Amino acid sequence: MKTAASPKPDRTAVSLEGHWASESDGQGHVVFNAEGIRCANCARSIRNGLGALPGVTGTEVNVVNGRVSVSWNSHLTSLGAILAIVADLGFKPVPLVGAAAAAARREERRASLKRIGLAGLGSVQIMMYAAGLYTGAFHGIDPALAGFLKWTCLLIATPVLLYSGAPILRGGLHDIRRRTLGMDVTVSLALVLAFVASVFNTARGQGEVYFDSVTMFIFFLLVGRHVEMKGRHQAASVTDALARALPATATRLRAVTDDAERVPLEQLRPGDRLRVATGEIIPVDGTVLAGIALVDESLVTGESAARQRAPGEALLGGSINTGSAITLQVTSAPNASALHSLVRLLERAQGERPRIGLAAERMASWFVLRILVLTALVAIAWAFVDPSRAFPAVLAVLVATCPCALSLATPVAIAAATSRLARLGVLVTRSDAVEGLAQVDTVILDKTGTLTTGNPRVLETQTREGLSSGMALSIAAALEESSRHPVAQAFRAHGAREIRCGDAREFPGEGIEGHVDGRLWRLGKPAFALQDGRAHPFTEDAGILLADASGGAAAFVVSDELRPDASETVAGLRALGLELRLASGDREGPVAHVARRLGIARPAARLRPEDKLTLLRELQAGGHRVLMIGDGMNDGPVLAAAQVSMAMGHGSSIAHAAADLLLLRDSLASLPESVAVARRTLVIIRQNLRWSVAYNLAAVPLAALGFMPPWIAAIGMSLSSLLVVMNARRVLSADVLGRKPPQGPRRTPDPHHTLATEAPQ
Amino acid sequence: MSSIYLLIPLSVILVGVAVWAFFWAVDTGQFEDLDAQARSILEDEDSSRSGD
Repeated sequence: MKTAASPKPDRTAVSLEGHWASESDGQGHVVFNAEGIRCANCARSIRNGLGALPGVTGTEVNVVNGRVSVSWNSHLTSLGAILAIVADLGFKPVPLVGAAAAAARREERRASLKRIGLAGLGSVQIMMYAAGLYTGAFHGIDPALAGFLKWTCLLIATPVLLYSGAPILRGGLHDIRRRTLGMDVTVSLALVLAFVASVFNTARGQGEVYFDSVTMFIFFLLVGRHVEMKGRHQAASVTDALARALPATATRLRAVTDDAERVPLEQLRPGDRLRVATGEIIPVDGTVLAGIALVDESLVTGESAARQRAPGEALLGGSINTGSAITLQVTSAPNASALHSLVRLLERAQGERPRIGLAAERMASWFVLRILVLTALVAIAWAFVDPSRAFPAVLAVLVATCPCALSLATPVAIAAATSRLARLGVLVTRSDAVEGLAQVDTVILDKTGTLTTGNPRVLETQTREGLSSGMALSIAAALEESSRHPVAQAFRAHGAREIRCGDAREFPGEGIEGHVDGRLWRLGKPAFALQDGRAHPFTEDAGILLADASGGAAAFVVSDELRPDASETVAGLRALGLELRLASGDREGPVAHVARRLGIARPAARLRPEDKLTLLRELQAGGHRVLMIGDGMNDGPVLAAAQVSMAMGHGSSIAHAAADLLLLRDSLASLPESVAVARRTLVIIRQNLRWSVAYNLAAVPLAALGFMPPWIAAIGMSLSSLLVVMNARRVLSADVLGRKPPQGPRRTPDPHHTLATEAPQ
Repeated sequence: MSSIYLLIPLSVILVGVAVWAFFWAVDTGQFEDLDAQARSILEDEDSSRSGD
């Protein structure tokens, strides 16, 4: 009966090779969809099957979205061999790229709907005839009519079992062949036993028939799987939306003649020159050669405002050129572009199963063995007590103990959480991060680039008697006018047209000297500005001093500006009961300033990376579970050491693979909601596990003792799985913060952008 | 009483028709996007979504 899925692995390999397989230094890597993955055991059989192939170095199977990710040594094996094994195991490898993957999903959805439709209509109809048979059993029925009804039931139940039940039976058969114990084994056993016994009893004209139980069981099982499949498709569509963003071809300019030719993306090499017309997608990472690009990077970074890119500036693959046509030079291979690393990160996150999930999978296998033993015992016991009741009791035990709910409990909840977090602009790169995020009680925040925008501004100005702060700033701005030092940008915004400095001289690492209005001014470190070592009347932590011949004139605290959503975020985190710490490598002045504005006690300043690590270790030694949020540059070690870490995804930091979570939008606003979503997810996982164990424990004795007819067991089991899936889906829409959840992606204006283009007051 | 021997085969045929109708509906994409129609009355443009 096995319809061997043989999807011509070679042809699949070609289409996969182009898009999703990458090979370098003898190492190959591929991600594809395997149709037919339904349970933890399917995943294990693929892992074991591929693990047995020499040369395969790693296999990851995601039960939730049906994806398989394989790495191999290309000297020892090939992609074709890997795909052939997957096909032999009974799964159909499907390329992951855009249209094909979507079409495959649509086919799966339609087939599933049809199976459910047939099973539903069939079971309702059989129920009607069965009602006649039940009443007949009590009030007497013409044996000829009873026989006729049973044959009619048989007529309807057969296509339901063979068509609607096909994936279940096929799964069971595969499990038996591979000598693994999946839940399909017990379910198929129950279905086949019940059906064969019913056919036998119908033919001999006496004894019970179970056609109603068979069809109803199939119907509920399929409904449960359909709901689970929809969740899986939803998770897949998030990543596909990213992958689909890339076009299949690009317009390349020939080396000498500048003739345009269309080439497949895979053929692009670093150094190639491409033309990207208005409205086209920039296919790979590159730099602008000619023309000024206006790019929409919303897909890659979540940033919604278009940005301008002049010749020499970097472009991200996956962004859209909304400006005029440009020529660009390719800087990375198509498989290594920023968008691809992002998608890979997401794939990795979805493929790595959290520990709870793994435990449930092991439990399921152990469970099935126990069930089979238990069923045998029940059969033997009833054979002594009342042989006529042995068969219904055996059926009921097989049905009631189906551990579907148990093995679904964690993966569906995590998948829902990942999808919800992605909508919030938070990319989960390690899937136990959701669990970790839920258990966090302390948050360490980095300052520069995390709580602040990273763009310097003058935060405080102190002046001596007789000098207005506006005047002081204007003088400073005039001195800094031609400087390229980052601090200069902070002053430039305060420039005034009539105040000029013609002879500014820069002393690298010290400051600037020059004449303004005929007076000699010095701006820079206090030691530089006050050459003769005189004391100045300002506070100790003043970073930059303006001085003339008569001494210190003004002191400025220059630091980068707080993000507009920083205080809201801090308040939100605090409302969740989290303790906040500020750890920065910056000087005391700006750190204290930020801490004061946000109301964070005991800020730590001037921390080197190892000092941050010490602070983290101290907190962890005190039993705290710490979430570290940083922008990943000097925060690397701390990010890696914290229980959970989150990196700002802006700029080039997409590669911050050390972090468990990436903030795709350049904003902190979604942080409190993310923590709340994670907490809710953990609650739901625990509910699910508790429920499914309790249900099985309660149902088994009832079934074994004969109090539960097989059809009630079928309803109970299916409702139990359905409950688990529905419960997990609550993560998607739950009102975790006690307010209405946002509809669709929330867009926040980008502080970088507004600041960079802000006109001087 | 013998009418039941006519009515039951008839009901089986009716189920067959219902199953055929459902399969047809699935294959023509009637269940692909259950939200689109509800949303479409809120959209200003008069563009009708075509099923794929």
